[in-house]
Amino acid sequence: MPKNSIGLTAKSWAVLRKDIQVEFRSRYALNAILLFGVTTLTVVSFSVGQKNLSGELYAALFWIIIFFSAMSGLAHVFVREEDAKTATVLRLTADTTAVYWGKLGFNFLLLSLLEAVITPLFLMMTDAILHHFFLLLIILFLGAVGLAGATTLIAAIISKASVKGALFAVLSFPILLPLLIGVINGTTKALTATGGVTQASSELQLLTSYAVVMITASLLLFEFVWEE
Amino acid sequence: MVWKIVLLVVMTWVIVGAFILPAPQQAIGEASRIFYFHVPQAWVAVVAFLVSMVASVRFLRNGNRLEDDRARVAAGLGLLFSLLATVSGSIFAKVTWQSYWNWDPRETSILILLLIYGAYFALRTAVTEPERQARLAAVYAIFAFVTVPFLMFVIPRVLPSLHPSDSIVDESGSFAMSLETSVVFFPSLAAFTGVFIWMYRLGRRVTTAERLRIEE
Amino acid sequence: MMSNYTVLAVTLIIWFGIFAYLMVIDRKTRRLEVKK
Repeated sequence: MPKNSIGLTAKSWAVLRKDIQVEFRSRYALNAILLFGVTTLTVVSFSVGQKNLSGELYAALFWIIIFFSAMSGLAHVFVREEDAKTATVLRLTADTTAVYWGKLGFNFLLLSLLEAVITPLFLMMTDAILHHFFLLLIILFLGAVGLAGATTLIAAIISKASVKGALFAVLSFPILLPLLIGVINGTTKALTATGGVTQASSELQLLTSYAVVMITASLLLFEFVWEE
Repeated sequence: MVWKIVLLVVMTWVIVGAFILPAPQQAIGEASRIFYFHVPQAWVAVVAFLVSMVASVRFLRNGNRLEDDRARVAAGLGLLFSLLATVSGSIFAKVTWQSYWNWDPRETSILILLLIYGAYFALRTAVTEPERQARLAAVYAIFAFVTVPFLMFVIPRVLPSLHPSDSIVDESGSFAMSLETSVVFFPSLAAFTGVFIWMYRLGRRVTTAERLRIEE
Repeated sequence: MMSNYTVLAVTLIIWFGIFAYLMVIDRKTRRLEVKK
């Protein structure tokens, strides 16, 4: 059967759907990521909740929560395959690129869910004021795409390591720096009165180009990680 | 063989000149002499990254383990020199602005480079199977390199420095460099590059020999 | 602090030390390649 008889989108979708189904049964990654997020948020709120801080500080705290929660859960998408020994089957049956898109999609959904839970809670539990809702929405979206785009490849890399531990965070952090700078600055502008979408144009450009570049690079490099 | 003698002489001249001749930046004073060592170290750290990245690309293309040896050695030297650059920069910062670390754009960039090298070797240590280790390390080196353009353009905009920072040193580092300064700086750049090339060759010999010995 | 001359002397000693070390490694590894 020729490889291209089913489209790439359909194949990717199949990978994604399978991952969602498996995840739904155990909810392992989801639990890890949400639990970490809410716990960190609680600590933050407890120490900082009543004080009136600057938009910058709130933005930084918010993304610290998101970043570390991401580190606790985004590697799961590949590590689970290796641990459960289903990776070999996946390699044989699925198109490499489709695997990447499917896993990327899964991580993006995971992050979106995290953001959807943490953002309202954060706004409620701290004195942060959301001045520009639409801007924040865009940043959350671009941030999730960029974060997933940069870390999915790294997740694949560490799933092959014998000692995982903090490796995921160690490898991800330097690479995520431009993204973190972009989202923190952008979120600052969403949380301050003088901000707004037009003010944040350079951040939005940065985030968009980052997402595009990292996903493209990942697509080119993924086969070297995935295929034996 | 000859070039090693030349290297010895040039570097000796650089060291002598750095401390005997007038300090490059009078406004900062004696501490500015570190400029002659610090900038070439940072330069070598970046060059090493480039070498490592190119070797990584070649390795993924042709699977020749020699390329991986090259990538690994270059990265090791990159780690060494970015460490030296971070430390020398930090000393300079302490003497000039009374604090070891300021999150100034240049400081931040060299720190990130250091983190990338650290991560590279953390990864290599974590993967035991040699062929796989080489492959994954190559992928990471390339992936990390892709973020560098972002860092180069983003960081200076995002971290404005209250400190005069490298802008002062840069003014003497660019076309406004005096003759006295150039006479030490450019040879220093050449000498540090020479040391890098020499260490790179030696490192490659050792790494390749080690690997071949293990493979037998 | 220390005079420039002191720092100069120390740095030169360090450099000569590094150079000597590299030369030693150079000689040793040259034999490695000849062996093959």
